[in-house]
This record gives sequence, structure tokens and C-alpha cells, in this order.
Amino acid sequence: MTNRSPHAGDLDPVTARTRFPRSFPSPLRSHGAAMAIFLSLSGVLAWGYSIVGVSPMRFMEGIGKLGSIALLMLPPDTGDWAKFLTYLYALAETVAIALLGTLAAAIVAFPVALLASRNVLANRVVHFASRRILDCVRGVDELIWALVWINVVGLGPFAGVLAIATANAGIFGKLFSEAIEASGRGPVEGVLSTGGNDGHAVRYGLLPQVVPVLLSQVLYYFESNTRSATIIGIVGAGGIGLHISEQIRMLEYQHVSAIILMILVAVALIDRLSSGLRLAIVGTRAAGRA
Amino acid sequence: MLAIDGLTKRFGEKVAVDRVSLEIPAGSFVGVIGRSGAGKSTLLRMINRLAEPTSGRVSFAGVDVTALRGAALRRWRRDAAMIFQQFNLVGRLDVMTNVLLGRLDHATPARAMLGLWSDEDRALALSALDLFDMAALAAQRTETLSGGQQQRVAIARALVQEPRLVLADEPIASLDPRNTRLVMDGLQRMNRDYGITVICNLHALDVARAYCDRLVGMRAGRVVFDAAPEELTESLARDLYGLEAGEALGEVASPDDAGAPAVSAPVAA
Repeated sequence: MTNRSPHAGDLDPVTARTRFPRSFPSPLRSHGAAMAIFLSLSGVLAWGYSIVGVSPMRFMEGIGKLGSIALLMLPPDTGDWAKFLTYLYALAETVAIALLGTLAAAIVAFPVALLASRNVLANRVVHFASRRILDCVRGVDELIWALVWINVVGLGPFAGVLAIATANAGIFGKLFSEAIEASGRGPVEGVLSTGGNDGHAVRYGLLPQVVPVLLSQVLYYFESNTRSATIIGIVGAGGIGLHISEQIRMLEYQHVSAIILMILVAVALIDRLSSGLRLAIVGTRAAGRA
Repeated sequence: MLAIDGLTKRFGEKVAVDRVSLEIPAGSFVGVIGRSGAGKSTLLRMINRLAEPTSGRVSFAGVDVTALRGAALRRWRRDAAMIFQQFNLVGRLDVMTNVLLGRLDHATPARAMLGLWSDEDRALALSALDLFDMAALAAQRTETLSGGQQQRVAIARALVQEPRLVLADEPIASLDPRNTRLVMDGLQRMNRDYGITVICNLHALDVARAYCDRLVGMRAGRVVFDAAPEELTESLARDLYGLEAGEALGEVASPDDAGAPAVSAPVAA
């Protein structure tokens, strides 16, 4: 029985293979290559495990400790009201660091994003330079910026604000300039055609198009920065993080769990608030018309 | 008088507008016709200086427009109001603000930046909107309006610029017949009642014949016809439009026109 279709010519597999060998896989060679790739990837994985000291034995021994720590955490308790208020104040400080840092980042990033957008500034050199600067700033994590700023302005929340602001300015610069480059040319041209200057073109032609997008991005990063701000507290840049690391070192696990719960509640609240705001800002564009 | 002298625009190797020379007396209503890609848009955009000419010059009332810079250039753009096929309004702003953008160069830069429009400017914008029955929609977000309504807002914006010249680039290309008439009547009113010179790129020849007192035909960047509408014979028009003749002359759509039902086209069995 043949599967050959009467409409597609009469080339049988054997002749086809001899005439067009490159259109057929050579079974041995492709299997060999797949095996080689599989083996070398497994080798890399095993080497990686040995470098970071992954050991199933140590994991099995330690898992019991995790259970006892979890038990020590129950019930979450801050001891007295004074302590609770201290933690609450530190938590508020963390949220403040996130909010101020995010806002400062957005304010710094916006003009840089304009410079980095091809459709706003045609100058290739400025464009390239601002892009690379944003890349560098973005390439360094908040925690490292926190360590840097602590040495510049000393311990405390101010260093935290600066750390969040620096790292996020790099991120916002890139996100903003992408939103700006995706905006339509028509409104900008309309403003220029009436005799408006470049400032007017940005204010009336560009901003109305991009501001809702930018605000929604800023709100999203405010949420995410609230979580980051708890971490940078650990290196002394203000906020709740310092209390967590202190309580862990003093083995006060009930305090630790209480603080973690407080952070979870705060993050959830901010999450709800900001997604509501984002919907209100972006949702209104639903009536979009081409 | 607007004088265009040897105006040329090259995009790389391609010549979009090729040594165009025209003299347009004040108060005329000129239609620029020709197939898509003939250079009509580029010509208009060079007059308003949204596009920079490669060579040649444009002068208005003796002033060399092509040499203007900074505040003088913005003053010229305000004098030479532009109307676009895609309206180029700011969709997220309300109708009123879009019309007030026509007053940007009349207000001080700082007031314009902050949107502190004077009561006089507001009244002017409303009366311009009222001319086109649009004043009731002044507070509405512009992107919620229909295409015809948006083009009327754009004409109101041009009107409050208090221009001496209106450059309309295919203003009716995306409009239905009723709005086509409203928009063209609006341009005619600016021309007749305010003495504003109108230069209008048009694709549809019947509209061009009905409204313009002079037609300029362009092909491949050059002016190949320049006379009163009556002198454009059917064969000249066919020559000007080539394959697009049927569409431009308002004949029954050919079967290969996208979206147009092929009423009488025979269907191969």
C-alpha cells in the first residue's frame, strides 16, 4: 500500500531521499547532537549544584528546624502595645520611603525619558547617551544603591528614599520613553501646526496621550517598592526591615511573625488601593476611537 | 498673495515634490487634485513648514516663509492654519481645549502652558464651535465624537487661529457624504465670509469642481494642470488619475476595490 497522493507527483521516499538528501534528517547525527546537548546541560547543572553546596542531606536535616521555627512563631505577638506602635511607626516609614522614592524617581525620570525618546528629540548623541545612562542606573539593584547612599547621607530613611529613587529612575526612564515613543504623531503635529512651541506640543499633544500610562506604571511600582523598602531596612536604610533582622537575631520569632503579618496587611491594602486607582485612570480610555 | 517658487522635496532618492511653482492670489479657493502619492500632502506641509523643503521657496505677502525660525515661524504657522485628514486633534482632551489650541500663539507662552485661557479666547472658541453647531459638545472628550464632528472641531480650531490661509489636507477623505458637505461648506464659509485663502487637497473630483475656483493637478510631484475647473476635461482627468480615475470621478466602484460590493461584476463559476 502506498500513501502517495495522485495529485502530488510520483516521487517515492527512496528516490526523494537520494535526490534531495538535505531535506531529510539524518537520524544518527540529530540524535547525537541532542544527546550531546542533554549531557552537557546536565553537566553544567551538576557543577552548579556542587558550587552552591546543594545537599539533599542538609535539606532533610534542616527541614525539621523550619518546622520548629514555625512553631516558635505562633502565635504572632509583639509583647506589648509600645512595641506594636514602634513597629507600626516603622512600617509607616517603610511605606513613606516607597512612596517618596517612587515619586522622586518618576519626577527625575520624566525629563530624561523625553531626551531618550526618538520622536521627541532627534539628536542621536543625546538619545544614545541618555539611554546608556538609564541602562547603567537600572543595572544596579536597590539594595546596592541603599549601601551606597548610607555612606553618603548616613543611616536612616533618607538613604532608603534615595535608594528607591535611584534604582526606579532607571526603570521609569526606560518605561516612560517606550510609552512616549508609542504615542501618536497626529496630536503633536496638530499643536505645532497652530503655532504652538515645542513645550506646548509636549504639554498638549504628548502628555494627554501618555500620562495615564505613566501614572499606571508609577502606581504599580509603588506597590512593588513597598516590598523592596522592607528589605533595604535590613541594611539600615530606615523602615521596618531593621526590626525584622533585629528580632530574628534575638530569636524573638513571635515578634517576627507579627511584623510579617503587618507587612502583608499593608502590602495588600496598597495593592487594592493602587489597582483601583489604575483602573480609574486607564479604564476611562475605553471609549477609544481610531 | 502666496508665491511658491521651484519648491522641491526629496526623501532620499525619491522626489516627492518636483520644482513646483504657483502663485495664489489672496481670497482664492484652490483645489489640489491628483492620485495618492502625487505629492499633494507634502506640498501643503511644506507651506505650513511641518515639512522642510529640500530647495525652492515659499513667500507670503513678500515675506520669505521658508527662512522663518522660532517665534516668526510659529506666527506663520498660526497664519497658515492646517486641517488634516486624520483631524490631528488631541483625543483625550475636551472639544473646547482642542479649539483653544488654535489660540496658543495668541496667548503668552506661560498662560498657554498652564491652560489659563482668557474669557475672550473662550468666547471666541465657543462662537467658532457654534458656527458648526458644535458648541453644545464643548465639554465632551474629543475622541468620543464621530469623524465628521471631529473634523468640524478641527475647522473651528483653524478658525480661531484667525489665519490668513487655510491648508486642508484631504479633509473629507474619511467622511460620509453628509459630513463631506458640512466640512466643505465650512471651508467655503471661511473663504467667502472671512476672505481667507483656502488650499485644499482633494481626491474626489466632483467635490473639487463644486467648491474650488481653481484646480491644480499634480502627478509624480509636478504640476501638470492649472486652470479653472471647467477646463478639466474628462480625458485630462483620466490622464491625471490613471488607475484611480474611476474612484476619483465618482464612477461605480471596480470589483477589486476593497470593501465595495461588486454589484455587476460577473463571478467566475
